[in-house]
Amino acid sequence: MKQKNSLPAVFLTPAMGILAVLALVPTAYAIYISFQNRELSRPDGSLIGLANYIDLFSDRRFINAIGVSLTWEAVTVGMTLLIAVGLGILLFECVSPRTRNLLALLFLVPVILPRVSAAFVWKFAFHPLYGIATYPYKAITGQPLDLLSNPATALATVALVDVWQWGLFFAVIVLKLLETLPPQPFEAARLDHARTWEIYAFIALPMLKAPLISLAFVKMIESLRAFDLIYVMTRGGPGIATETLDMYAFSQGFIESGRISYASSMAVLMMIATSIAFTFIWKRVQ
Amino acid sequence: MTKPKTLVSSIAFACLLSTGLTTLAVAAECSDTIKVLAQPRDGLTLLEDYKSEFEKLSGGASFEIDYLNENDRRAKTKADASTIGKYNVYYIDEANVALFASAGWVAPLMDYYPADYDYADFDPGRQKVATYDGKVWFAPITGGGDLMVYRKDLLEAAGIAPPKTLDEYIAAVKKLNQPDQGIYGTALRGQRGSGANVWRWMPFFKGFGGNWFDGKTPVFDGEQAVKATETYLELFKYSAPGSQTGGWDEAVGAFTSGQVAMLIESTPLVGMAIDPKSSKVAGKVGYLPPPAPLTGGGYGHGLAIGVKANKDEASKTCAGLFIAWATSKENEARRLEANQFSELNRTSIMTSPKFAELYGPDLGQALAETGKLTAVNFWQSPQWPDLGDRWGIILEELITGTRSDIKEGLDELDGFAKDLVARSQ
Repeated sequence: MKQKNSLPAVFLTPAMGILAVLALVPTAYAIYISFQNRELSRPDGSLIGLANYIDLFSDRRFINAIGVSLTWEAVTVGMTLLIAVGLGILLFECVSPRTRNLLALLFLVPVILPRVSAAFVWKFAFHPLYGIATYPYKAITGQPLDLLSNPATALATVALVDVWQWGLFFAVIVLKLLETLPPQPFEAARLDHARTWEIYAFIALPMLKAPLISLAFVKMIESLRAFDLIYVMTRGGPGIATETLDMYAFSQGFIESGRISYASSMAVLMMIATSIAFTFIWKRVQ
Repeated sequence: MTKPKTLVSSIAFACLLSTGLTTLAVAAECSDTIKVLAQPRDGLTLLEDYKSEFEKLSGGASFEIDYLNENDRRAKTKADASTIGKYNVYYIDEANVALFASAGWVAPLMDYYPADYDYADFDPGRQKVATYDGKVWFAPITGGGDLMVYRKDLLEAAGIAPPKTLDEYIAAVKKLNQPDQGIYGTALRGQRGSGANVWRWMPFFKGFGGNWFDGKTPVFDGEQAVKATETYLELFKYSAPGSQTGGWDEAVGAFTSGQVAMLIESTPLVGMAIDPKSSKVAGKVGYLPPPAPLTGGGYGHGLAIGVKANKDEASKTCAGLFIAWATSKENEARRLEANQFSELNRTSIMTSPKFAELYGPDLGQALAETGKLTAVNFWQSPQWPDLGDRWGIILEELITGTRSDIKEGLDELDGFAKDLVARSQ
């Protein structure tokens, strides 16, 4: 009996050991060097306490990056779920099962595409002179449309690419979830003369609450890792209009300054903020 | 008339190659694979066709080149050189040579560069930017200064003589700007970065008499910088769409696709603009030195010996041999033969009959004249990439309209520069 109980530990120990080495060691090291003044060109840094953390709060780029990251998170998660639910219902309601399968296959293509490739394709598509996405505007008005150079539209334009990749993929998941629901509640609602939107708003979506929340969590985590998309499409520009926290930390660590301690302090703050936010949201949802 | 010329140049080319073969005799004993981190260059791609030649020369060593675009290459070389040191040879440039040299990430090149390969033959301007603290750190694989490149057909149609002064240039840009006909007056670089928008802005700053530092005190925050920025922003009103957040690729792409009347860019643009394979406007292009008082942005990129990956003297010698071979007269003659104008760095090649035959005497003349205006516009310091990149962000904000007060931007940079100097001490 005793032997049986120790089996999970036998299997878990190697995995947890590897995880500890791969995740905990770099994390602990990042926390340690965030209290130093190390730079890539001067590896012999000294301990400076909380100076990096204090400096961050008077750094306008850091404050801006917090705002950009929050906006990015809200826009991409919100829009992805909106598109996914809307499109999923539309497919379920209006398209025959055979065509649905074909469309589902097509909707999977964007998410299969590597992020960097997608970013390059769309960057070119949005080019004001040669881009296919901006061509109709240019043809109608005679004026070029430079969405990625405009601080007011750059973040939304990059977010559109993110939503294109994930919204369509999630729409397929929502469609498949709708197909698994039992038909009886829908039939009963129709007998009670419920309208189509009422059936989805009050029956189907509440039945899908748990998987939709899971999708939202997956997207929230995925949106935090949008570095590659933003890096290729705008590099954080114009100016700092699309500079997210991870983008700024990378710039400080490797592109501009080589200030790895300063960049680490940002990474540590991001880790703490993300852990608190996700724990809070998770508890609220439960 | 053409035939004897071709014959003469072919003989010269053959002589050059045979000179190269004699250097093959100077073989070293290397057997490992030399790992190179570079940015894409036609000259390096061409080099890969001659791997066996290097293998023979080195006594068995081969080489592998990983390519990353300019900004990524800068970030990755910095990260690699300061941490694991996987690469034996780094592609570095004028903007970060001071950083790499002072951090001890690269070795002094001349200690390992075989004398037979004649380093002194490189263009003097490129030798100058490869030198920091009295030592040479890289062998050039591209470089030069600036040229004003213009569409002869558009200027003639508008009755405009090629501008010689900045005032004439600005007036011409304004007059030639016809967006309704798909022609824009100029193309500048708006993308942030010490090698992007700041690079194109600096000729105005230096041309108006600006200076970055006096000793360790920043002195750039003055009327010259304000005037340079105002002029740059004024010209941006006539710059092709896409250039507001674009770099070299966008500016050059707009010109070679026939949408730009004139621009001031680094000399390799000419090679691309006059080549029918890469340009829609080949045959309609004229070039002159930048209008007064602008200075030319002297630059040079090249190969340097990594310190971490080359742990002993023997590996440094092998890396030095690779660099010498890669930038040798023979390989540069091959680049000339392949019409790779932007990959030419040696005086002997640029004054050769083959060069004159391929590009005509005008280009040689323009390059010689612009050489007189070419200057080191940036602050030659390990902290330059940091300062330049910060100004690049502020400048991009000014260009795209998220900021409008030039003086406030310069004051912010001044504070940043003071912090930077304090941190480095």
